[in-house]
Amino acid sequence: MSGAELVEGPRDYEATLKAARARAESALREAGISFSVEEGKGFVDLVVDVDSIVKAAEALKNAGFTHVVSVTAVDYPKKKSIKVAYHVTSYLDPEIVGGIVGLAVYLPREAPEMPSLSGVWVSAEFMEREVYEFFGVTFKGHPDLRPLLLIPELAEKRPLRKDFVVREESIYEGVPERVRRG
Amino acid sequence: MEEGKVYVGNLDVAAKRARDILLGKLKLEKVVDWANAFSLWPVHLTTSCCSTEFAATFGPRFDGEQFGALPWVGPRQTNLIVIEGTVTRKMACAVRVTWEQMPHPKYAIAMGACALDGGLFYNSYNVVRPWEVIPIDIYIPGCPPRPESVARAIVELQRKIRGRRVASSWIREGWRPDRDYVAPKEDYCAWQKTSPLLERV
Ligand code: SF4
Repeated sequence: MSGAELVEGPRDYEATLKAARARAESALREAGISFSVEEGKGFVDLVVDVDSIVKAAEALKNAGFTHVVSVTAVDYPKKKSIKVAYHVTSYLDPEIVGGIVGLAVYLPREAPEMPSLSGVWVSAEFMEREVYEFFGVTFKGHPDLRPLLLIPELAEKRPLRKDFVVREESIYEGVPERVRRG
Repeated sequence: MEEGKVYVGNLDVAAKRARDILLGKLKLEKVVDWANAFSLWPVHLTTSCCSTEFAATFGPRFDGEQFGALPWVGPRQTNLIVIEGTVTRKMACAVRVTWEQMPHPKYAIAMGACALDGGLFYNSYNVVRPWEVIPIDIYIPGCPPRPESVARAIVELQRKIRGRRVASSWIREGWRPDRDYVAPKEDYCAWQKTSPLLERV
């Protein structure tokens, strides 16, 4: 922790994000991990390889990112891949409080498997269980990998993958495909 | 009652004869229904976001207690389930278990669009309709319904109990004559039995 004091009240999000991003990038570079950056309005994802993700997580934790806000996944059926992203930040480090950086990894869609990061960040444990039940991503080394919210029969269907079809909205029911697309 | 008459023997038979005399000869049905209508105890079973309005109903501003109902803790001391919104797959198991634990005569109110037919989540994979789980007496539309309409539903339920003699006939017959018994089509607690996914990896 650096010497600066924790400021109360609203913060400049862009500036915090920039500081957090610089901190995370330098930490990964110091650890000798190659990464690529995906960014958009208000978010930064540092994409690393599956093999180096545990090392990257440890480097980020040592750099002050002590807390996982969320673990989530995105399904890309056309690219045949699933992106798993850990959003990390800090409660206490005054420079980066509230700046959320994503640590992401791309996995093959058929058999998505990656090492669990719950050994590094304990707060990732339940969120990894959710990613497991909704997307079917297996986390190796997870202490308790069972469905969290869904019943097992539903979890087997992987309901948040894009090829899981739910009943359509009623305003579209019976409307021809041509009209629906406009 | 005849003087000096003592019931000896089987407790069940004695209880049945006492019940027949009280409800039949002494015409206590009205009293039973009246007492039952004004001692509705909804169980604390919060299934979803409608529960905030349910809590407001019994808060100081809307004061649902004045109608003769007060939320109570355990299912074995309560006789009313207010299903507060969406019922998910896992919650359906809890709803059914709670319903089975309650002593009769017991009633159920379904609150909110979600409890009517799924509401916002009508096409979700994880939502069940509460009327498939337990028999519902009153439905309240709205998302969420106002506390006034919850109070109204309680008043309607009281009217139903007293008008149709629900409580007394339920006690006399041992089952509820004016509606069918809802048995769930599937076992909602089946997921608790072993499944390969539930075992630790
Ligand atoms: S009806 Fe509306 S408020 Fe009630 S549970 Fe459903 S979504 Fe929530």
